[in-house]
Amino acid sequence: MTSKQTHTSRDCDEFQRQLPELFDSEQELVAHAHLQSCQNCSALVRDLEYIAAQAKLLLPIHDPSPAVWDNIQHALIRETKDGTKTS
Amino acid sequence: MTKNTLRTAEKVPSPTPSQPLTAEARPVQQQQRRNPPIAGELAAIASAQQGDGAAFEILYNMHKRRVYSLCLRMLGNVAEAEDLTQEAFLQLHRKISTFRGDSAFSTWLHRMAVNVVLMHLRKKGLPLVSLEETLEPSQEDGPRKDFGTRDLTLSGSIDRVTLERAVEELPPGYRMVFVLHDVEGYEHNEIAGMLQCSIGNSKSQLHKARMRLRNLLRQNADGKVDA
Ligand SMILES: [Zn+2]
Repeated sequence: MTSKQTHTSRDCDEFQRQLPELFDSEQELVAHAHLQSCQNCSALVRDLEYIAAQAKLLLPIHDPSPAVWDNIQHALIRETKDGTKTS
Repeated sequence: MTKNTLRTAEKVPSPTPSQPLTAEARPVQQQQRRNPPIAGELAAIASAQQGDGAAFEILYNMHKRRVYSLCLRMLGNVAEAEDLTQEAFLQLHRKISTFRGDSAFSTWLHRMAVNVVLMHLRKKGLPLVSLEETLEPSQEDGPRKDFGTRDLTLSGSIDRVTLERAVEELPPGYRMVFVLHDVEGYEHNEIAGMLQCSIGNSKSQLHKARMRLRNLLRQNADGKVDA
């Protein structure tokens, strides 16, 4: 084992096993000792944070077809006819 | 089936430039940022509560896109998403008189839509939480040590359309938690309540979803370079 490879896969496995929990605490995550020295796991964390950040931009893209509103209208007319809903 | 609809995403400009957000952006701020007050909404709500059909139509037009996008992402199917959008707004019509304004109207409505989708999936007998992890721990979701040498991180390499397509490819259980948490901004305790799973389960599903997305996006990025 060379000095460059001080990170055994066991260290990485252990760190990655904790990741789902660590992600809930930004402070714990950034301060984690393993990240200070493991490039691969740092890259992993950056990617996952990047994906989470990009997801926030995914909001409203799709429009329903106009048929949806037609159906809603018909259903509402039916409901008011069927139900004796008087206010 | 969903592909054609999703293509339209390309034409929609990104509302915010892709900026590195801190991972702990506060959910409340998220809710406000995602559900900003809409001009005329309060008046429309008040009128709709009095049974004004035109006001209800205004509310529909204000919120149809968000509600439908939510349904589509959770279900991955246009026909079902349209049916459930319809169902969500019919429920809104039945319940709007109970809206008291304690929370943002959109937050209230979206929660209603989420419940409609979840109830639909339960009726179909589908597990809301992915069973994959217990059935077969997939190699690709496990820890990775080798990233190849090309580029170490994804940062800056994905756009919304690419991510959107990758999200579509997620297994339903992973997609559900990813959409609820990372896209819609719900917290793990809320998701655990909605999906009737443990908080730890919600966290682990989210993690697996992001890991799967990373692999999909990396393949995609590699494909681009190789092409
Ligand atoms: Zn490592």
